[in-house]
Amino acid sequence: MAQFIKNKVGIIACSGEDLVGGTITRAAARMVVEKLRPDKTIILCQPLFMAGGLERHGSQQERNFAKDHPTITIEGCDEECARCAVERYSGPVAATIRVEDILKEHPGLKPATRETLDADGMKVAQILAIKIADKIDELLDEKHEEDEGFSDPARPSTDVRGCGCGCKKR
Amino acid sequence: MVKEIMLAKKVYIFPCSGVGKVFGSIGREASYIVVNELAKDKAKISCLPLVVKGKKALIDDINENHVIVVDGCPSKCSYNDVKSATGKEPDGQFLSTDVVKYNRDLKPESDIIPLGENAKKLSRKLAEKISEKVGEILDSDKKGGA
Repeated sequence: MAQFIKNKVGIIACSGEDLVGGTITRAAARMVVEKLRPDKTIILCQPLFMAGGLERHGSQQERNFAKDHPTITIEGCDEECARCAVERYSGPVAATIRVEDILKEHPGLKPATRETLDADGMKVAQILAIKIADKIDELLDEKHEEDEGFSDPARPSTDVRGCGCGCKKR
Repeated sequence: MVKEIMLAKKVYIFPCSGVGKVFGSIGREASYIVVNELAKDKAKISCLPLVVKGKKALIDDINENHVIVVDGCPSKCSYNDVKSATGKEPDGQFLSTDVVKYNRDLKPESDIIPLGENAKKLSRKLAEKISEKVGEILDSDKKGGA
């Protein structure tokens, strides 16, 4: 029986293998569910969500969760595969956040490697993660001021609000 | 009669890329090692979500070539997704959990961004197995075409 989990938002990253954008979506999704909003989010496994006929392994649970809860899709390219999947199997998405939009806003950031994120890739992932967290707060009508200084101690550059790409974003 | 020259087929590698646990990432990393290094020019990677979305050009190309799926758990999402979208039984399938099972000394770290050292070593071991399979599939093509 599907359980209703209160005050949770589903996050589904496209995770596309062919482009760096897919890798960035994975990283951002993990940052949100592990560090920024661990108590407010559920990560939905994109391949499981999309796989048909896997009810015994839980794909229907994932789809039901997205039916009953606001779900944010994170897209690595303009194909928007994650949004298409959620709309096909569960209904309208709460929001779609695109790597391409971040890259337009921060033209100085040029992530290059799809295999392992380089420094620019990590910065884009962090900016994306903040954007997702903001959207979660908006959906749940909550505020999290502590994200102002969101940083990952494992990374050399930590302040994603001042990304250093010349975009003049805070 | 002019004999048609057939272009050599390639092998698509589709890892599941599951994001919840490290095993999906091991499959993803292994697939990159195959297409970038061990079977460069013989194997290629594309986006699994795009296959499921039904991108016709990609599905047609998969059907004209070979395909190996790499899954991170017994749900076998990549296997099921590829089979369902293309109607084709994959030419090879791998489970990243198998490589973990046979290398008990390499306990994979749970981090996926970036992968831990043991997870990277496991990825390479898995990549070697996938690469062998790529070779077998293409050799079989050559024998069949001889």
